[in-house]
Parts: sequence; C-alpha cells; structure tokens
Amino acid sequence: MIGFKIALRSLLRRKSRVVLIAALVVFGTLLLVVGTTLTRSAGIASRASIIQNFTGDFIVYAARSNEIPSPFSFNTPLPVVPDLDKVKAWLSAQPEVEAAVPFAQNYSLISVPAKAGTVDLPFIYYAVDPASYSRTFQNVRMVEGDFMASGPGVLISRNQQKHYEERYGVHLSVGQPVTLLGLGDGGGVNALRTTVRGVFEPRYYANVFNYINFMDAASYSQVYNFTGVAPGSLPRKLEQGLQAATQSEDAIFALAGSDTGSIDTSTLKSEAVSGYTMVAVRLKDHGTMEVVRARLASQGLPVKTARWDEASSFFARISSGIQAFIYFATALIVLVVAFIFMNTLIISITERTAEIGTMRALGGERSFIRNLFLGETLLLNVAAAVAGMIASLALVLVFQRTGLPLPETVSMYLVGGGPLPMILSAGPFVVALVVVVAVSILATLLPVRVATRITPLAAMSDR
Amino acid sequence: MSLVQMVDVKKHYMLGDTRVDALRGISLEVQKGEFLAIAGPSGSGKSTILNMIGCIDNPTEGRVLIDGTEVEHLTDTELTRYRRSKIGFIFQSFNLIPVLNVFENIEFPLLLRRTLSKKERERIVMRFVEEVGLSDRLRNKPNELSGGQRQRVAIARALVTSPLIILADEPTANLDSATGHRIVELMKTINETERTTLIFSTHDLHIMEHARRVVHLHDGTVESDDHRGPG
Repeated sequence: MIGFKIALRSLLRRKSRVVLIAALVVFGTLLLVVGTTLTRSAGIASRASIIQNFTGDFIVYAARSNEIPSPFSFNTPLPVVPDLDKVKAWLSAQPEVEAAVPFAQNYSLISVPAKAGTVDLPFIYYAVDPASYSRTFQNVRMVEGDFMASGPGVLISRNQQKHYEERYGVHLSVGQPVTLLGLGDGGGVNALRTTVRGVFEPRYYANVFNYINFMDAASYSQVYNFTGVAPGSLPRKLEQGLQAATQSEDAIFALAGSDTGSIDTSTLKSEAVSGYTMVAVRLKDHGTMEVVRARLASQGLPVKTARWDEASSFFARISSGIQAFIYFATALIVLVVAFIFMNTLIISITERTAEIGTMRALGGERSFIRNLFLGETLLLNVAAAVAGMIASLALVLVFQRTGLPLPETVSMYLVGGGPLPMILSAGPFVVALVVVVAVSILATLLPVRVATRITPLAAMSDR
Repeated sequence: MSLVQMVDVKKHYMLGDTRVDALRGISLEVQKGEFLAIAGPSGSGKSTILNMIGCIDNPTEGRVLIDGTEVEHLTDTELTRYRRSKIGFIFQSFNLIPVLNVFENIEFPLLLRRTLSKKERERIVMRFVEEVGLSDRLRNKPNELSGGQRQRVAIARALVTSPLIILADEPTANLDSATGHRIVELMKTINETERTTLIFSTHDLHIMEHARRVVHLHDGTVESDDHRGPG
C-alpha cells in the first residue's frame, strides 16, 4: 500500500514527464488497437471480397490440370472440368454448400464493322451461367443494359468500352450485334453472331477486372465447339463401356476387344457440352471449407480443389504482405516507444538515487524498490493504455460507419478497392492491453536493475 | 558485551588510479546507551565509520560486530533486515521521502516491517511526533517544512522502530547554529529517555560539546577518545 502511495504521488509530482510518457503510451496503444483492427479488418474484408466476388470459398477444377486456376489469372488455357454434371450434383447435395457456380476464362475477338472496314477487338472474358453467377457474386455493377437476362450475348466493362473507343475508334453500345470469333481445337475459326447486352463496372479489384468481360455459357460452347454426343444416342453397351473406361486402363482395352454394337450415325444427336474450367463453391459457413473439400476428395471424381486464397493468385498474398507490413510498422513504433520509456525511467531513477538509497537504508528490500518502480510503470502505462483504448474505440466506431479511406493503390491490393470497413472486436483491445503490460514490464527490467543496485550509501553520500 | 565493536578496521577504495585510505586501523567499542560524537575534519573517516556501524559498508580489513553479530558475513537481504530492526538513520540532508507527509514519513519504517496494525502504528508515530514537537505539522510535505522541522521528522523516523543504535551523519550541518543546538539537545533527551545508543558525526566544536564521549579522528585513525561523563 505504501509502495502504491509513493508510486502514485511520484507520478503526480513529475507531471511533465508523466504527460510525455502517457502521450507516448496513448499513441502506442492507439496504434496497436487501430493497427490490429485495421489488419484484422483488412484480412476479413480481403477474404470476403475475394470469396464473395470471385472464387467462392474454394474452387473445383480438373484433376489433370497442372496448375491451380484462378479467376484473377489468364495465362494458360486450362482443361475443362470433367463430369461437371456429377460434380455439380454432388455439390448441390451437400448441406454446407450455398452455391456452385461454374465458369471459364478465355480470349476471343469481337468483330465489328468500322469506318475503315471490319475491326477485330481483343476480348478477354469469363464465360458464365448469367443467372447463377449474378445470383452468387456481386462484383458487377451494371451501368447500362442487364446481366444477360434479356438473352445470350456479351457484357463489356466500361473501361474496355472506353479503351475500344480510344484505341480502335469503335463504340460498342448495348443492343449492338457483334461477331465473336474463337479459335477451335483443330485450328479453325468459329464465328458466332451475338449481341452486346450490357456495360458494367467492377466493384472490386478494378485493376484486374476493368479488362475482363462476360459471355454466356451457351455462346461460349458454340464459339469453341464444345459439343458432344447426346446421352441415349449411342448403343447402350458402348455407353456402359465408355463409362467404365473412365475408371480404369483395363476397361479401355476391354472396350477395344468387345462387341459394343454398331453405331448408326444418322441417329446420333449432338449437344453442347460444358467448357467450364472451374467451379466456384460458396459455402453457408466458411468454417466448413476443409470438411467439404475433404469429403469431395474422397468421392473419386476426376477433380481437385483449391482454397480461395490459393485461387486468388497473388492478391491474397499481397494483402497478407500489406497486413504483415502494418504489423511490422506497429511493432517497430511500439519498440521505439518502449525504448524512450526505458530511457526516461532510467533518468527518473538517477534523479531519485538519494530517495532510493534512503529507502534501502531504512530497511527497504530490493523487492520493495522493484515493486515500487514496476507499480509506478504499470499504474501510468495501464491508465494511459485505457485512455488510448477509449480513443481507439472512438476512432474505430467512426470508421466502422464510413470505412477507413485508404490510398487507391493500397486499397485495391488490400481489399479490392474502396474504403476499408473497420470491424470492431474485443481482440485488438485485449492484445493492446497485454502488449502494453508486457512491454512495460520488459522496458522496466533494466531501469529496475539500476534502481535495485543503488546502495544505502547513496543516501549517505547525498550532500 | 559492547554494542558496537570495531577491531583494527581498515578501509581503502580507489579513486581513479589513486588509492584512498579512509580508515587505517580503527579499534573502537561503543556501549549500549552511549551518546557519542565522532569528530574530525572532512575526510578523516567519520562517515565511513558510521556506514560500517550502519551495515551499509564493509571494511577492507578488520572486524565489525554489532550486538555480537559479525555483519560483514550477512547477505544483502539479511543486512537490510538487520538495519530495519536494529538501526535508525538521521541524515545530513534529512532524506525525507518527498511525496510523503510528516506522518507518513515517520510511519514508513514501521510499514516496511509489516508486523503492526494500523492502530498500533498510529499510536507509535503520534508518540514520537509529540516528542519532536511536530503535532501541528502532521499533513505537511517535507518541502513545506523548515530545515529544523525536517530534521525533527528524520529523528522521529529513526526512533519509531526502537532501534539499538541511531546513527546521525552530521545532523546539524545543514541547519543554522541555534537550530543545530536544539536538534542535538533533542537527540540527547531521546538518548536519556529512550536509552537508545546515539552516535553522531560532526566537525562543529560547539555541537560536540553536547556529547558525553567524543572520538576524534584524523586521517583515518583515532586521535583521541574523550569520555566526559554525564553532559
């Protein structure tokens, strides 16, 4: 109790120094809480932005693909997802799955008439089922037209529309007929007459999605000749044999030597098959992701899965990198604050040498001196930390409503653009308090060592 | 048995490259209840002797026994506890704890002991507050007191634990002559009423007049040891 009394009054006696230290601790706490809240919010927002707008919780893709597909990357043509109907049916049957949205990415050309003849415009796009895609993902804000609800066709990003105007002198408008040109597997060019159904702006990751457009899945199949034999057209035995051949090598050879019946080509019916290269799976609860992935892996389907962060190419990594940088900068500033605090305490102890010596002469043990300074430190720093937490709370509450404005480049890579929605939670406050207490104790170790080494002689020699 | 026994005590320390011999073989015995002045010019070794009796410094050679205990073999914690229970200090610069008021400063050594109830502490403190005449200054901080009043607080603080010995290192050096005399008179009265052994250092001839025994030091040796009987 006497230690507490001395500690408290000593603090009140050295007002200017106390104000300086308190200000530093308030600043450090503010930085800790806001920094931790910011990184945590950025992590959540980044994850939410990527999951809700691009990848879903995980991506399903062809097992024979050598690389993980990403809605953010357009480098290598990917194999189509085999047995898509089965995969979709299995996914739809899982209680944890909210939606399974297949899509593909590809390049094409849009051929349009211009003043100097025909112009072929480069066209990068997602091929999607418009209904399920627009129902599941919110990364598109329509500026004109609709998300192909009025019929099959293409959507063009506003940025792409401007680019066509500036670079090629062509203005594509909603309702305009265009010709899509796609290069088939055999090297031939397929042409498809279709219509511009809308112009949109991406809500997130505009740095990538300003250059990406949309096409409906049926048009995509036609442009790329994704056609097959309709079920029931082939002799039953052959269909069964082909089915078995997908399961084992032996079945392939067995098929070659067996009588599967003759094929009447005049009765064969063709149908468009899917050219989808991935299926984005949205879950009701992100926490069930690993369970669902493991369950899917055990089904023996010819597909693999990739987590949202694996499928988000380098964006998740950049976001994590920015978050790590914020943590590092915060830790560095906390370290500097601790260093200043330690030096100030050593100066204070040096000034109080006679007082400490007197206490030691009168019978104060080293532990009394240690507790005195530790108490003084914690009293000041915890009080300042509480003040810092109140200030942080106010700040977080303000930015919770409006979102924290960030430089566009930082925001784009951190959360896909726009202000960062701050998420209030107790965690950063608890972390800040623990860090302040721990750093205070650590920063007091050396000064306390100095203090406890002061002998009673110091009191005697104080002339 | 003598309360304090110093046997051929030598103390030297290094000041840069120079060896300083603070004590050059001091032998001294102090009996219980003595009122002893250690006199001598600056640098003669007065403070060094007090530091050794007060268990805050060790001899380079020789032995120091306090109440039969050879203190140089005690650990830091044992020495601290020994000081707390057996020795009271009065400092030249008063050395009051600046953030505590008169009452709290006097109470401080009792709080370090942690054996007495609040009521008991209050009773003891009030007894000595009255004895040094500071009943009307209980709530004042040291910076609100005169030099003489501060030294009275220091005397009361040294007395509250009923120590075997009170050591006063030049207790009047920072006081005017009249106040200095009053302080020494007060110490003498306490010595008589409490039967506490009181050893003080001084280089003031007028102040040492009050002592019943004066040990004169010169260059770290005892020059004379005058027993004057009742003063």
